[in-house]
Amino acid sequence: MQKLIIIKYGELTTKKDNIGFFLQTLKQNIAAILSNLPVEIKQDAGRMFIYTDEGYLELVKEKLAKVFGIHEIIEGYVDNDFTIEQIKANALALMQARSFQTFKIETKRSNKNYPLESMAINRAVGSFILKNIPNLKVDVHHPDLLFNIEIRHHEVLYYGEKIAGLGGYPVGTLGKGLLMLSGGIDSPVAGFMAIKRGIKLEAIYFESSPHTSEQAKNKVKSLARILALYNATVKLHVINFTTIQETILKNIPHEYLITIMRRMMYRISEAIAQKNKCQIIVNGESIGQVASQTLTSMSCINEVVKIPVIRPLACFDKLEIITLAKKIGSYETSILPFEDCCTIFVPTHPVINPQSKKCIEYEKLIPYADLINEAITTEEVIYLDSEKDNLEYRDIL
Amino acid sequence: MIYLDYSATTPVSYDVLDTITKVTKEYIGNANSIHSLGVKSKNLLDSATEQIAHIFNVSPGELIYTSGATESNNMALIGAALANRKKGNHIIVSKLEHPSIYHICDYLQSLGFEISYVKNDREGLIDFDDLKRLVKENTILVSICAVNSEVGVRQPLKMIRQIIKKENFGTIFHSDMTQAIGKIPVNLHDVDLASMSGHKIYGPKGIGLLYKNSNVNLVPIIHGSTKENNLRPGTPPLPLIASFSKAIRLANNDLEKREHFINLLNEKIVKHMQKYPHILINKTKYSIPHILNISLMDVMSETFIHAMEKKEVYLSTNTACASGELSTSVMAIYNDLARAKHTIRISLSHLSTTDEINKFLTYFDEEYAKLANLK
Repeated sequence: MQKLIIIKYGELTTKKDNIGFFLQTLKQNIAAILSNLPVEIKQDAGRMFIYTDEGYLELVKEKLAKVFGIHEIIEGYVDNDFTIEQIKANALALMQARSFQTFKIETKRSNKNYPLESMAINRAVGSFILKNIPNLKVDVHHPDLLFNIEIRHHEVLYYGEKIAGLGGYPVGTLGKGLLMLSGGIDSPVAGFMAIKRGIKLEAIYFESSPHTSEQAKNKVKSLARILALYNATVKLHVINFTTIQETILKNIPHEYLITIMRRMMYRISEAIAQKNKCQIIVNGESIGQVASQTLTSMSCINEVVKIPVIRPLACFDKLEIITLAKKIGSYETSILPFEDCCTIFVPTHPVINPQSKKCIEYEKLIPYADLINEAITTEEVIYLDSEKDNLEYRDIL
Repeated sequence: MIYLDYSATTPVSYDVLDTITKVTKEYIGNANSIHSLGVKSKNLLDSATEQIAHIFNVSPGELIYTSGATESNNMALIGAALANRKKGNHIIVSKLEHPSIYHICDYLQSLGFEISYVKNDREGLIDFDDLKRLVKENTILVSICAVNSEVGVRQPLKMIRQIIKKENFGTIFHSDMTQAIGKIPVNLHDVDLASMSGHKIYGPKGIGLLYKNSNVNLVPIIHGSTKENNLRPGTPPLPLIASFSKAIRLANNDLEKREHFINLLNEKIVKHMQKYPHILINKTKYSIPHILNISLMDVMSETFIHAMEKKEVYLSTNTACASGELSTSVMAIYNDLARAKHTIRISLSHLSTTDEINKFLTYFDEEYAKLANLK
């Protein structure tokens, strides 16, 4: 028997005509994430099979747990011997290695020419197990161990426990979006959720040097890299926001600082999204969390752009978001204590219900179109890999 | 010069040397400083660590830089022993370890820890039954080297891990991988802790690392900072770290091809030595070809080393850190005192050439004839 990993697809199997595209993308994504490991990937209509050296099994499972579009990850065994005696012996050997009190054997037969029917195999193997492992019971409703045998055309598969995959759609199957990535807890989580729906993300970050430090930027790069674990690579657009922010600070009434600043960020994001063929903007806004995230604020800020803005966390509370951030692995990075451009220059009493009339009036005080234009043309683009991209150190490392 | 002592240390590769120079000149900031020079250094430091993590398929947080394998061994053994004192006081090591492991064990014994030495068979392989018997409820740590430094015996770490963990899941498994890295493929997931060194893989002296699985806790043996890495505080030696990372990358290129070539050289020497009745070849079926140990039964090994040195051929008697003593590994495998006292270690590299080996064999014959005749 050889060990292997079986992957079951989830939601994507509901696709009809374009299922081939979804499966092909999933296979590419899996091959990419396992590219530095000695694996062989095979695929059939219902599943994917990954063969690897046993020493890499845990690592492969760990990596697969970060791929969207996978419903279940199953560690199984494959054997070419179809005799019922061998099937019984294999089942016994595998079940002896586990501890359980009740079990059920479930056989599937895609090879309908096999002389025994599924039920007969269940009975044969079940009674053989009962005879050879003491103190076991069969429980067909709630077994401790559901042991699966699949008689296929060229091999027999055996497996027990299944690990849940991430679900969702393979990344890249549903177009591209631009994530507004700050250094906080929310935006990486929002990005994660968008990626889950098959959206390939790029990210935009507003830098306000010297008010924000290089460490803050590195933190955002690290967060982008965490997202890259799920998204393959992240193209990060770094916008120099200093002039805009300082101009706003000098010319605009302080209670409107954040509102106007957010309007500028939205405008820039829309332009960058269009330039890069991103169909939506994604951000981490959560209703009511801060002054700029009240419904009035959100509508007053949103009105400056036409592109759809998706807010995956709109109805989540902070604790739910933190739980997700910990699960994704971004929390520890997010809480590193570096200021970002949303946390500097916070007015004592920001407006909670801003009026767009006033915004328009205030914005006339600054040459924002020129400033935005300059910010867009001077963007810095960084490609981030989940494995840190060492290109800049190629000659050193 | 014919250098055949690559297991003692290796010459720094020019590629690696370039990195040392470049980083020393261009990355002057302290990686802990918050200004841009510091950040620049920190970025390089992180990239260097991530490169190593990527090569070994572990996470960067599981790698701790040290001054070399001896320090890594200290950090691992003392750190794990002290951190697990409440669980037990029993430690198991093999009889094929580097001297530093035994010195640490002596120290731990003085602190009240009990040390057991697991047996090995005539091939140098750990005796699995003995290991199984030795691992008890109070066994907190097992340390077994991946490749022995004197006879080159390679241990099946995965199997050893399975035996240890089956007997006591909480027992920590450390392996000194100094002689394995860059010679054979290793899987760090076979162990909980692993020591490595830069200067054995054509990197600089003064840098090594300890791999520590994130589930393992160690008590720090060096104190001095509250920074993230509290196990090894101090300003990170960036030129050493960056060049070490590069050395690891280069050493892992073409492992198989290199091993194949080295094996040819090894077999050539073995064949040559077999014609001498008083030369015993201390090679088992688990020895890696990079290390070849022989016993010249009728010549004092130190005398022979010095005689060869006059011809500019550099060899060693046994591991450099135990010079002047008998080879504990040969003793552990063959249980023959005379054999263990007369050892010569020839260590080979992909840099060795067939021409060098031919010359070495000619000089060997000359010197051996002279010295053996004296008897």
